[in-house]
Amino acid sequence: MSRPFPYTYISCPCADTPVPDPARKRRSRGSPQKSPTPEQPNVDNDNKESKEAENQDGDEEEQTFDPRSPRSNFSLYPPEQLLYCEDCHQIKCPRCITEEIVSWYCPNCLFETPSSMVRSDGNRCGRNCFNCPTCTVPLAVSTIENVTATGSQQGPWVLSCAYCMWTTLDIGIKFDKPTNIRAQLQKMTDATAAPALDRSRQASRTFGDLKSPLSSYASIDEQSASREANGEQSATKEDETPTPDLGTDARFAALKSFYRTQISETSTSPGDPLGSDLGFSSPGALNRLMSLYTSSSRLGGLYGGSKKPKSKPPVMREALTASEGLRIAPEKGDADVIERLGSHECGWDGVASIDQRKEQSPDVRFTDDLLPLPCLLRTKRAKRCKSCKHILVKPETKPQSTRFRIRLIALSYIPLPTLRPLALPSSSSLMSSPVPDLNALPPLRPIHVLLTLKNHMFDPVRITLATPSVTPGRVASKVTVLSPQFDIGANSDVWDEALQGASAPVTGDPRLAGLRGVPEAGKVWDKGRNWTTVVLEVVPGTLPGSEAEGGNEAGEDGTLAQQDGDVLEIPVFVHMEWDAEAQLEQQNVGKASKPDDLVARELAYWMVLGVGRIKTSL
Amino acid sequence: MASTTPSTGDNKRTMSAASNLRHSQTARPSSPHTPQQQQRSGNASFASTTSPGSSFRNEDDAIIFEIGARWIRAGFEGNGSPVCTVGFGPEESRRVGDYRGWIQGASGVGTLPQPVNAEDWVRDYELWRHDLRDVDLGLVEDKIERAFRETYNQHLLTDAGSSRLVLTLPSLMPHPLLSSLLSTLFDRWRFPSVTLLSSATMSATAAGLRSALVVDIGWAETTATAIYEYREVTTKRSTRAMKPLMQEMGRLLTALSSDNVSEQAAKDEIAVGFTYCEEVTTRFAWCNPHGDVGGSAPDPGRTISIPSPTSPEKDFCDIPFARLSEPVEKVLFASGVAEYEMDDEEKSIPLLLYNTLLTLPPDARGTCMSRIVFVGGGSRIPGLRQRILNEVSSLIDRYGWSAIRGKVLERQRQRLEQMKISSQSNGEAPSTNNDSASSPDEEKPDPSREEPEIDFVEQKLRRQNKDTPVSVQGVIREVESLGAWAGASLVTSLKIRGMVEIEREKFLQHGLAGATRDSEPPVPDRRSGLKAGDRSSWTLAGWA
Repeated sequence: MSRPFPYTYISCPCADTPVPDPARKRRSRGSPQKSPTPEQPNVDNDNKESKEAENQDGDEEEQTFDPRSPRSNFSLYPPEQLLYCEDCHQIKCPRCITEEIVSWYCPNCLFETPSSMVRSDGNRCGRNCFNCPTCTVPLAVSTIENVTATGSQQGPWVLSCAYCMWTTLDIGIKFDKPTNIRAQLQKMTDATAAPALDRSRQASRTFGDLKSPLSSYASIDEQSASREANGEQSATKEDETPTPDLGTDARFAALKSFYRTQISETSTSPGDPLGSDLGFSSPGALNRLMSLYTSSSRLGGLYGGSKKPKSKPPVMREALTASEGLRIAPEKGDADVIERLGSHECGWDGVASIDQRKEQSPDVRFTDDLLPLPCLLRTKRAKRCKSCKHILVKPETKPQSTRFRIRLIALSYIPLPTLRPLALPSSSSLMSSPVPDLNALPPLRPIHVLLTLKNHMFDPVRITLATPSVTPGRVASKVTVLSPQFDIGANSDVWDEALQGASAPVTGDPRLAGLRGVPEAGKVWDKGRNWTTVVLEVVPGTLPGSEAEGGNEAGEDGTLAQQDGDVLEIPVFVHMEWDAEAQLEQQNVGKASKPDDLVARELAYWMVLGVGRIKTSL
Repeated sequence: MASTTPSTGDNKRTMSAASNLRHSQTARPSSPHTPQQQQRSGNASFASTTSPGSSFRNEDDAIIFEIGARWIRAGFEGNGSPVCTVGFGPEESRRVGDYRGWIQGASGVGTLPQPVNAEDWVRDYELWRHDLRDVDLGLVEDKIERAFRETYNQHLLTDAGSSRLVLTLPSLMPHPLLSSLLSTLFDRWRFPSVTLLSSATMSATAAGLRSALVVDIGWAETTATAIYEYREVTTKRSTRAMKPLMQEMGRLLTALSSDNVSEQAAKDEIAVGFTYCEEVTTRFAWCNPHGDVGGSAPDPGRTISIPSPTSPEKDFCDIPFARLSEPVEKVLFASGVAEYEMDDEEKSIPLLLYNTLLTLPPDARGTCMSRIVFVGGGSRIPGLRQRILNEVSSLIDRYGWSAIRGKVLERQRQRLEQMKISSQSNGEAPSTNNDSASSPDEEKPDPSREEPEIDFVEQKLRRQNKDTPVSVQGVIREVESLGAWAGASLVTSLKIRGMVEIEREKFLQHGLAGATRDSEPPVPDRRSGLKAGDRSSWTLAGWA
């Protein structure tokens, strides 16, 4: 599996509450006049919701969590990745939180990007951080000339990849100075756009990622778009090629300015389907109202005698020239591309792979067209509980700091499960093998695994474990929890344990010694200050089609061949109860608060224990 | 023209009004005190939850997602290309903390331990399939949720749910899929509204056209959608698309890797990794633009080396370049299969185009046939588009615009012709008979190809409109599009509101069932400007 055996995963309880389909809900209730009721679950806090879910589960006779189902991949998390909401008293996974971005930074140079710059930089680092377009390694700025001559490294600069030895020289780009490479690159690529015209269509460079399209188009859109359109028109007039080769973004800008002018030209007419909505106060609306009367009625002459009868209102037309964004496919088609693909100098590595192309402009086909990619920014995000909106995680804003102001991780509230195989002492009569090899468990031979639950709360916890006696899925392994109900001590002062342990340091507690030895049903294996270990007896099932079954299911091997068919995973339902000190706010609200300020709390979730991989043969 | 003078004066006002509108639009979702939201008292606190960092940002730019069976494209309105393209594969549906993809290399590269049925082979890599009988909608919801969350967190870098969402979807979506998509989005995040745009229309818009024949060579199916004045007129679809192509390529590579193993066992089973096969397909699948007869094909002896199917990580193997065009020929052009053997849903792509054009009224046909737009993953295969157009024009040459085929018809027509000719002039009958047998088109010239008689009304009209440019019509012409995503970005940035704008509160009350059944959307309301802001009812328009 993903992690070395043995491992544990916790399923977030939010997986039990399906996405409410409003339509389904309405149908089931059958009372459309009660429209506010379907919203109830959203307003309620999660506690109730989870109880409802439990009830639902109870109705559906305790559905066993199946770690093998494809959906479980989306609800299982390593315990350390889960959060806990103190107000809902629920485990929170990335699916049941909302995130808010606190700051943006470049993971390479750790500079924080101000929020106003993020979008204009296209969510990428605006400085010198680039990734190799072929292998995604960060690129280094280096000189071409040997640095040995003088200390004043003058020479032209390139970006080079230390891993695959790709440099910007491969695509013919050099830089004058080693700083502000991105601006230089942008300028350069804008300049090379014109020479790109005579290249073939597929080989044309488009610099979509590098230009910051939003800064120019969205904010001062009209002005800049028209400017660009003018520039393109002049360009097309210069070299009267039938299909001048605009890059993707240039074409997009041309189309946009074309549509803009078309809309503004035709929006006064009532007949256009694309006219933008005008406010009623606009004189244009009045104008249109008047023209409605004059044009539609035959008595137009009465009202607007001076006006000549209106001719057909202008209709938005389609783009007609290349400067308006139209591009007609070239006559010769893709012949040169095919020629190049089949040629020997291109080869497999000459064509960009899917992963390489994903980040680049959509027209890129060959590796020659790949451009260095500015580093994608990362974010620091605050996380809130989705249902009650309380902050669960709040990191410090500075990119360099790894500290958190608030961080409610689930492991401080739920017991940390750890799993290890039990090596029985050699004196034991059961078997002499030390530790079973978890990557090759022999089928049908019982093994014992120790499940330790460690409590991090300051209250003692009562735990009830439940597991299906036979694991779901095709490989039916038998599982028995030898002592399903036990207590875990509070996470009290460490000195307590140290003092206790000092009384009998070497010989060991006689009570513990009695516990050791043969695992026994109904008895806790081991117990410490804030942890308890219990034994699970597991009999791995036989893989279908293996020798143990005589290979009678060999025909269905296709399903087993899918990954991890042989992994032994045990779903365990954990139910924990504890008496928490009621906090002030809960005291006011909580109906269940006991007189001594203790509130009974409970939490239940599914956990998946990955024990090992089953061998095919005995 | 008379109307141009006032309109230029109105230009500025139009723009300023539009920008006013923009502000008023954006103010709406952020203010919590609209009556609708006050009903939901528990949500009043949401308005104050935006972090200080995000409040500076220009949040009103809508976010555009194009969702297909294999990929999601996402980005901001007004951009020319999407910020990111995210796929759906086994790597994307692993458990959190499962780093096998990094440790062992991505799955699907090497050979599979056992050959897999071609359908199972692709199943893990697609988000959904239109046959919902074997689709787990819950799983689809999970995948969508994760894909959206990670797209927002890693690529878009804005707070999810704070701004409008525009989805570009194929115009035919099963309602359960649409419903679970929308309810996932609305339930998980607080999107104020979701606008649906039809991808075919958007592709036409991104080509700068008002009418087009959009051919989307997608994953599960190829659709040919005729769009006339921004309206979808007809759609025809065929299962000859990228999925069977990929499966065919997988079979080819499997056969290459195991040339000695029993061929019949590997008949429908694929033993090579999907990722590897997809790499080969996207890199080297090609198509001879001139069919079998063309002379410009690369010489048949030419070979290229691709990573060997048995161990793609290590060695390469040589393969004739021509073989890599075989799957394209076989799957997309159905070479070697007669037309009558194909079901309606599996016509070859040229036939699909021809049939779509045939169903159009002549005016629309003339307009659309010279505005053919290819989009979708398959349109990247070099030579494919030219080949399709060549075949379509040869179909038109052969049959004209008539759907009637068959031997009986030919015989009947010949007999009629004979009767006619024999009544006119007895002497020349046999020779013309031979001619007509060879080329049935010549005996009665197609009306579309006749010299049009001079119509004085037309002439007058033409004189009137002589400043408006004459649109190309009636010839096969291909226009390149920037794709559906770019079209949606374009349309959204022009502040054009979509027909289907689903507001959060209304959807959460009734779901898809809340949509009005009106097939006619409330167009007059929108245009008068009276009800620009609120629509009392919403419609699913084409998706209903």
